[in-house]
Amino acid sequence: MRKIIGLLLLGIVAWGIAVSLTRIPFGAPKTKVGRYYVDKGVPETGATNIVTSVVLNYRGFDTLGEVTVLFIATIGLGAVLTTGRRKKSERKIEPASLILYTGCRFLFPLILLFGTYIFIHGHLTPGGGFQGGAIIASAFVLIYLGCRGRRISELGSKLAESLGGLIFVIVGLVGLAVGGYFLINFLPKGIPNSLFSAGIIPIIYIAIGFKVGSELSSIIDKLVEETE
Amino acid sequence: MVNPVLLIAVPLGLAFAIPLLGFISQKLEKYIPPVAMLFNLIVSLSLIPKVLEQPIVVSIGGFPPPFCINLVAGPVGILFSAIIALVGLLVSIYALDYIHPVRHSPRIDTKLSNGVKEGATEKYHMLYLLLLTGATGVVLTGDIFNLFVFFEILCISSYALVAYLGDRAGVESAVKYLIQGAIGSSLVLIGVGLLYGLFGTLNMADIARNIDSVSPISVFVPLVLLITGLGVEAAIFPLNAWLPDAHSSAPSSISAILSGIAIEVGIYAVARVIFTVFGASSIFLFLVLLGLLTLLVGEMSAFSQNNIKRLLAYSSIGQMGLIIFALGMATSYGVVGGLFQIISHSLSKALLFLAVGYMIYRTGSMEISSFEGMGKRMPFTSLAFTIGAFSLVGLPPFVGFPSKFLIVRAALAKGEALFIVLIALVLAGTVIEGAYFFRIVQVLYFKGGETNPNRREEAPIAALIPVCILTILIIVIGVYPRLVTGILNSAASEFLNRVEYIRSVLG
Amino acid sequence: MSFLNNYIYYIGAFGLIFIGLYIILVKRNLIKVIIGLSILDTGVNLFLISIGYVKRGTAPIFSRPGIEAARMVDPVPQALVLTAIVIGVAVLALALSLAIRLYQHYGTLNLRKIKEQRW
Repeated sequence: MRKIIGLLLLGIVAWGIAVSLTRIPFGAPKTKVGRYYVDKGVPETGATNIVTSVVLNYRGFDTLGEVTVLFIATIGLGAVLTTGRRKKSERKIEPASLILYTGCRFLFPLILLFGTYIFIHGHLTPGGGFQGGAIIASAFVLIYLGCRGRRISELGSKLAESLGGLIFVIVGLVGLAVGGYFLINFLPKGIPNSLFSAGIIPIIYIAIGFKVGSELSSIIDKLVEETE
Repeated sequence: MVNPVLLIAVPLGLAFAIPLLGFISQKLEKYIPPVAMLFNLIVSLSLIPKVLEQPIVVSIGGFPPPFCINLVAGPVGILFSAIIALVGLLVSIYALDYIHPVRHSPRIDTKLSNGVKEGATEKYHMLYLLLLTGATGVVLTGDIFNLFVFFEILCISSYALVAYLGDRAGVESAVKYLIQGAIGSSLVLIGVGLLYGLFGTLNMADIARNIDSVSPISVFVPLVLLITGLGVEAAIFPLNAWLPDAHSSAPSSISAILSGIAIEVGIYAVARVIFTVFGASSIFLFLVLLGLLTLLVGEMSAFSQNNIKRLLAYSSIGQMGLIIFALGMATSYGVVGGLFQIISHSLSKALLFLAVGYMIYRTGSMEISSFEGMGKRMPFTSLAFTIGAFSLVGLPPFVGFPSKFLIVRAALAKGEALFIVLIALVLAGTVIEGAYFFRIVQVLYFKGGETNPNRREEAPIAALIPVCILTILIIVIGVYPRLVTGILNSAASEFLNRVEYIRSVLG
Repeated sequence: MSFLNNYIYYIGAFGLIFIGLYIILVKRNLIKVIIGLSILDTGVNLFLISIGYVKRGTAPIFSRPGIEAARMVDPVPQALVLTAIVIGVAVLALALSLAIRLYQHYGTLNLRKIKEQRW
């Protein structure tokens, strides 16, 4: 019975959306806002990756909101899962085999380096703070899987999360004080395609990279702690 | 003149800074939300004279409006942000004592304790401040995807706060709330995607300017998706199944914020989409009927409740129905009445939940029958509860009276026979509301007496200050509604006059 | 055939959205509902990306000096999807933590049985 009602509702929604979608041609060249960003993106912001300039410069407020959402999820997870004292685990943790252990320890700094490369070059190549942060978090997950019993330090992750967000807001406020608009690009734009270009964009992406990396790692850490 | 961006940026920065402050001293953390909200309140009130003449349009990033995100601080935005700051400030003062940590205590029954939880409480304060930041962002923004992002900030922090105590009821309600809210958010995102595909821009004024260039049927689907998605948070009739559970299982200070701010911001989002972005005059009658249905369902469900917080939650649903009814009439009186009802409901419902919080803590139960004799045990709190209840029903001289009066007058001014019938049904709903509130007041004052009447256990000072201030505000605005009618009239004309909005953003 | 060529991405995205919605409406196990939520999010993100496609377009990155701007896809939906993915991950993390707590309290993940909050 429930399935029939569900299917009926979905059918109505599907018909409505299909009618609306026939008005949106697939693959048509974009006018207005899309064109403007692609045409004027490089001279106005200095970043050659137009998606980065949209994310951090034209629509930087959305990115601030997104950073906040991830922050809320981390805190919420911590608030729901605190079981008071950190229980010492009673189960014996079997150490991983030598190959796995050594391999993980060997790969860990390489993956960290790769993640750092991705978020530092966010304005030149595809990538950016969020992608780089996710890669850094996957390095920490590797450590959890391969070298049992090691944990990230809570102090360090708290520091990284708070500082990352605070740097983003402070850069915006400095832009407000210096240039009259929140999040205006007030540093020199440099030569396009070089590492030190695009004003505030690399700074914000570095802050976001550290923040997202530490947040995702601490989410995994709390979930792992819950099951041990 | 202060830049309205600071209304969002300063609380956000302070929320990020709370853990850093916690390294220095953990006692200071709970004072940051009141400080941030005090700042917001002062800035909002100081901007009111400026926005009455001309809305302040601020672009983020320094680019011209359709190519960037802009904030539109008009009369509606500043009015809502003032309400959010005021209620947020008062509830955060209440929470100074209500939410306290307990270290390593033996088994605490977290079922009906107030916000007692092992460990530090910095997470509560961070989530609380971020909820209010999200709410302020929703009301100030002028870009529809930005509306979605700040709306998500509001919703996700409320999911986490409902489950904050970690007890059975809280976690179950939070899961159900989360699932329904997440479906709603995905529907909003589909609607935003369709709007972008049709118009090529995400700026609300830009979409509003071009809304007539496409056929009505292709605009209808994004409108329905947006109303349905935003309506989950706004507690419109078939979408509010999460509300009674969530508002009754949360800690009382959070119930006050959810009922007093979160659902009103949901209604704001729905109204902004319908009035400004789409200008959809053809669905106003549907809104009126939907509002009436919500009102009747809410009030009738509240009548049969025994659990006080569930009763107040159903009463919130009823009041939201009344507000949608008023806004749906789309005349000047109607919209002013609806906005006034939002102010009245915010203040009164927050007062009711704050008063009830300590009553529940003293008696250890949420059943109405256990509040017998509370009039003697907690005289200030019971008096505050009574005033809040009378204000919600609409008795003079409290703030509920001018707002309901304006709504009735708006319906009569419409002149059609249909509205006479509808307003009669609304008044029937008000009668039911009066019935169940009088029943509670009767239990508070006129029953009981077996318990020792000399034992006065009043709530602590930190809880009494916000209760007193709310009571004073309810009486003062009720007696002098002229204090707020100035800004309410400008706000109503901002909603009803789309062309003016588009002109002020895009020139 | 050309219809399919044009609309295959929309059909795929909405297929995922409907599978996700169906799972949430019909299934009883909380973990399955959360998976359905994740599929719904993926479908919506795919839909947003496919709105921004331009025929024969390339990525909007000026990596060499000679790339023309006219042949690039729309960068705005990509920015929207970046934000939407992160929001989806945040909701998913919170939902999973609530599922863990719910299991600790009730001992079951069957949504029909977790109905203590009555009318």
